[in-house]
Amino acid sequence: MTAPRAVLAASRAGRTLLAGWLVLPLVPLLLWAFADRWTFPAVLPQEWGTRGAEEALAAGAGGAFLTSTLLGTVVALLATPLGAVAGRALASRQVPGGTAVLAVLLSPLALPPFAVALGLDVLLLRLRIPAAAGVVVLLLVAALPYTVLTMRAAYAAHDRGFEDEARVLGATRWQTVRSVQLPLVAPALAGAAFLAFLVGWSDYIVTVLVGGGQLTTLPLLVASAASATGSDAQVAILSLTSILPPVALLLVVGSLGRRGRR
Amino acid sequence: MARRRPANRRARWAAPAACALTLALAACSAPADEPAVAAERDWDDVLAEAEGQTVRLWMYGGDDKGNAYIDDVLAPAAEELGVALERVPIADTADAVNRVLSERQADVPDGEVDLIWLNGENFATGQQAGAWLCGWTSMLPNMEYVDPDDPLLTTDFGLDVNGCEAPWHKAQFALVYDEARVEDPPGSIAELLAWSEENPGRFTYPAPPDFTGSVFVRQVLYEVSGGVDDVPLEFSQEAYDELAPELFRRLEEIEPSLWREGQTYPQDLGALDQLYADGQVDFTMTYGPATLPDLVADGTFPATTRVLLVEDGTIGNASFLAIPATSGSQAGAMVVANLALSPEQQLAKARPEVWGQYTVLEQDLLPEEVQAGFEALPQSEILPPYEELSEGADPEVEAVWVTALDEGWRRQIAAG
Repeated sequence: MTAPRAVLAASRAGRTLLAGWLVLPLVPLLLWAFADRWTFPAVLPQEWGTRGAEEALAAGAGGAFLTSTLLGTVVALLATPLGAVAGRALASRQVPGGTAVLAVLLSPLALPPFAVALGLDVLLLRLRIPAAAGVVVLLLVAALPYTVLTMRAAYAAHDRGFEDEARVLGATRWQTVRSVQLPLVAPALAGAAFLAFLVGWSDYIVTVLVGGGQLTTLPLLVASAASATGSDAQVAILSLTSILPPVALLLVVGSLGRRGRR
Repeated sequence: MARRRPANRRARWAAPAACALTLALAACSAPADEPAVAAERDWDDVLAEAEGQTVRLWMYGGDDKGNAYIDDVLAPAAEELGVALERVPIADTADAVNRVLSERQADVPDGEVDLIWLNGENFATGQQAGAWLCGWTSMLPNMEYVDPDDPLLTTDFGLDVNGCEAPWHKAQFALVYDEARVEDPPGSIAELLAWSEENPGRFTYPAPPDFTGSVFVRQVLYEVSGGVDDVPLEFSQEAYDELAPELFRRLEEIEPSLWREGQTYPQDLGALDQLYADGQVDFTMTYGPATLPDLVADGTFPATTRVLLVEDGTIGNASFLAIPATSGSQAGAMVVANLALSPEQQLAKARPEVWGQYTVLEQDLLPEEVQAGFEALPQSEILPPYEELSEGADPEVEAVWVTALDEGWRRQIAAG
């Protein structure tokens, strides 16, 4: 029996509303990005152009884009395997005091990042840890709650019977991991890596305090541009530049997830 | 039983780690809070040491012209002296000061901050912690063009500069209005307050502690206290208790006739500028009037934007370059500060198309061709020359005053 037509229509309307709610805020951003002049009370920009893009490039958007990508990638590469290992251990309930361990792993979510960064900055400096490494370490800790939670959920739903069967059939430990376990949790891994990437990609406070100015990332440029008057076009371009890579990644992760469910 | 072993191993590993951590935390041996003083030496010596050093200049990054000036004019000139100048853009100068304080606390010998553009509270905060290198500005050859008795340059928000920072720009608080909308512009702060009452909804100011909103409140303080001479620049609780009530009474009085009946205030200068650009209010204000011609040229502000000249004068200040005591490239930083102070650089920086910042140099002390250069600077219809703008300039009060007034405003005006 198929769903009644009214339900289908309602579902479609709901999805359209949701998409509109997510996309509408981007419309003024897009308009601003190419508005050389847009003053009240005009509904649309009076002059179109690329001033915003030129200003953003002059402010160093290119280099900042690369730095942000690198930072996000490094955080994702470190936080995802750690999250997977911790998630699997926690899901298997073999960790003594598992709830306490989980609470500790999730605690970065509850602590204000400013206080953490300001407090740990002195410690990192005293231990003579290079600024960039300090940023990665702190962001790694901030990203762990997301990867651990995602992977714990994935491993909780994961049937270890498949792995046992592969072992019984003579697969080595590594073959089991590579050919059985990893493909099964791949969508969750991609999701966790995406979240961890976002932590590195969008951070401001740790990068500025602990990074000691060595890492000029996109959020730093957006913040300085946004604190000035008359730079709306530049802020719009920088913001779009910061939104597009995560959206592209999200589409990739989404399609991976769909393939995984099939 | 087998499961206990890993726990033991963990414990054995954890104990020394915890010790190391405690040591790192406890080994504060808090560095003395008195400022580090630079050794007096020959300038050629400084130049020689600076060669090959990299200087990281931390400065507010929201000013495109300022950024371009550093990247395209100052940095190449520094390169010729063998110093690599790198600009670190920040949204708030306090971020840089926090970084320096952390480095100072951790006793880092070669910190990431070599030079900061700052003044006022940020300077005072660092000075309190002994974070700045002192006694070095007298070594700069270009200090000869600076008037040694200029009160704007010898004190910074009431705090003696003491050779702990080198002057860079002068700034003047300016009230800005649209000539097309304000037919009979007020000529003093008192008249401006009266104007706001006669024209309900057409005036407001950014909520302190916004930098500019806070200056406006001090400007009103000078006005209601009967002039700047009646306000002791040094903070005392008695002076505050005597003068502040009248200030807040007057601000409360005009509140109902402000934009949105004063129920809300623009959160920062950017918000007020937006209201002004959109024609919702007729006035805005700025501590950096040099940016005005640019804002008019790109259409953000209307072409009929003008600076209001008030007869009682407005508050002026200077901003400076400071070298953290933790910098590992102090010689290089001194060379850059000296270069930034040179007549050529100050003149280039004063050009409206470059940055339009007012010079800190004394005209009479300058070589004649440089004086001629300053005189030949194009005049703007929007922006009066510095001499006119700074006539009867009021000094800034001590930074403690600023904090106290901002807090008082929050309690009595925002919450009241």
